[in-house]
Amino acid sequence: MEFATFWLAATPLFAVPLIAAALGLILNERAGVLNLGCEGIMLCSALAATAAYLETGQSVALGLVVAIIAGAVVALGFGIFVVILRTNQVVTGITVVFLGSGLTGLIGVPWTNVALGGLQPIHIPGLTGIPVIGRFLFGQDPVVYVVLALVGVVSYALYRTRIGLKLRAVGENPQAADADGVNVEAYRLFAVMAGGALIGLAGGYLALASAKIFVFDMTQGRGWIAVALVIFARWMPWRALLGGLLFGGIEAVIPRIKAEGLPIPQYFLEMAPYAVTLFVLIYAAIRLRAGQDAPKALGVPYVRQDRR
Amino acid sequence: MWRKLCCVAAAALIAAGFAASAEAEAFKLKGDPKPAWIYFNVKNDGGWTQAIDEARIRMEKDLGYKIPFVEKVPEVASEITPAAERYIERGHNIIIGSAFGYSDAFKDLAARYPEVAFLNPAGTTNGPNLQSIYGRTYETQYLCGMVAGAISKSGKLGFVAANPFGLVNWTVNAYLIGARKMNPKAELTVIYTGAWNDPVKERAAAQALVEKGVDVIGQHVDTPTPQVVAQEAGIFGTGHHRDMREFAPKATACSSIWVWDQYMLPTLKSIASGSWEPAPYGAFVHVGGGADIACCGDMVPKDVAEKVMAERDAIIKGKHVFEGPIVDQSGKERVAAGATPSDGDLWGMDYLIQGVVGQLN
Repeated sequence: MEFATFWLAATPLFAVPLIAAALGLILNERAGVLNLGCEGIMLCSALAATAAYLETGQSVALGLVVAIIAGAVVALGFGIFVVILRTNQVVTGITVVFLGSGLTGLIGVPWTNVALGGLQPIHIPGLTGIPVIGRFLFGQDPVVYVVLALVGVVSYALYRTRIGLKLRAVGENPQAADADGVNVEAYRLFAVMAGGALIGLAGGYLALASAKIFVFDMTQGRGWIAVALVIFARWMPWRALLGGLLFGGIEAVIPRIKAEGLPIPQYFLEMAPYAVTLFVLIYAAIRLRAGQDAPKALGVPYVRQDRR
Repeated sequence: MWRKLCCVAAAALIAAGFAASAEAEAFKLKGDPKPAWIYFNVKNDGGWTQAIDEARIRMEKDLGYKIPFVEKVPEVASEITPAAERYIERGHNIIIGSAFGYSDAFKDLAARYPEVAFLNPAGTTNGPNLQSIYGRTYETQYLCGMVAGAISKSGKLGFVAANPFGLVNWTVNAYLIGARKMNPKAELTVIYTGAWNDPVKERAAAQALVEKGVDVIGQHVDTPTPQVVAQEAGIFGTGHHRDMREFAPKATACSSIWVWDQYMLPTLKSIASGSWEPAPYGAFVHVGGGADIACCGDMVPKDVAEKVMAERDAIIKGKHVFEGPIVDQSGKERVAAGATPSDGDLWGMDYLIQGVVGQLN
């Protein structure tokens, strides 16, 4: 029981960066922009959060706000290339990964390897003490609840608002959306920046809550897992939440199984999240239903004069 | 016919003579020593590379000249070779590396530049002008384990380790041997994160150990995260690579540290004087000769610190940490009573000793 309490309580630390980043990527990809630069954007915003936190008298809120802005700014740079200049989205995205890694290593020197107080969990007397689920549900830091709310907001915006409808139209069939008077480039740029802001939140959370330290290349592939998570979630926010919790839960249980000395091979444990992804992808491919496919125009630059 | 045979014989003799003289000839440095250092990571990584950079700064003071360095040269030959060649073109005749992944590129460079000396901490390749160096970190971690065993109230210790390699496994095992010297009932729980430099996993691992009730956390990873978590939880920790008091002053009881100038200064001197002879299987340095301990924090009683320092002297005088009998987790005897493992056995250490909770694969 104690095992389950601690395990569940630690799950959001791993899950929140994945969920926030996947949510950002869903916004991107629903508008037809494939953003493989997630890892690089997360690194930039992790550094931005750390620097802001350390330089402004250790304000977590300010650190996160700066991380969100940094994510949106880096994403805007990416967006100018892929939306306005119509460069190849895959190549540009990978460039952003290397740029983020190199740039943060170069300018991040003064803020690298400084222990941060960071984000602390809240404590609600009574509720937090409920066995097993008390700390999981009521003993998290405020950002966990914010991200939870954001899943609802993004989901509502995509499926229940006019803007969301137009954004999805731009990702499915930009020609038709254009003919209907939707400014494709503006919608795509907006989606890229809003998505970048969410990825920025993920990076800031990783530095200020998950690790409470910034080190070179600290994302360690978590941006790529978010990219996979989007496919796993079939581009749906609620499923990204579930997938993120699943991945986070697996990551959080690994050190605890090791600490108990249970005889489960650790390479099998490390492999588990990826094996689960693979199984779900296969399952989804077999049982694909209408409306669960990738946005039709994903990764395709829109040119109005293009003849089909 | 005879003449021809004589000619062949003479030629063979001369060739053999040349070969023999080439082999016997010790490495000679042309001109004054001009070292340059190549780092595989940033100089302030908080651990391994930063310890190297701090040694470089102390060496500059001692030697009275600058030692240039380049940061973040990744562990691939196409990046290492141009970096080293640029220094050689500028007249540097001693090239020092910093990584396991430099081994092959340095072997290649050493063959192409026989007049340049190559030194590589954590490397695996050696030659007439190339020396790889690693520390017997089981000695330093054993001493830190003694400190941990002495200050632990519950006798339950934790350890956050990177990857299950011989040189990590020996630190885990030695840590418990040291702890048991002070508290025979000590137990050690180890978590291998599977990464050298992932603070998110390290924090989760240290947190899991805290939840299990350990009151001292040791480590062999690249960031100070385990000590930081120990301090947050109000327990103690011991560090690796560098003195972790910088990051967790209240928690850090002892650190197993790299003091590369201890090795580099005498080596540079012997290279300059022409008496340098690289060990064919690498230099494997003892405590006090490149690896050492930073002992101790305020929470360590004076008599414990004295005992640890006395043990350090005993190791320098020849005491072996892994003196048998050493029994592994399954109860199999790995080192017979009274025997000591060879260096080869140490590098290939693929077991955890009895009393360690955790597993290698």
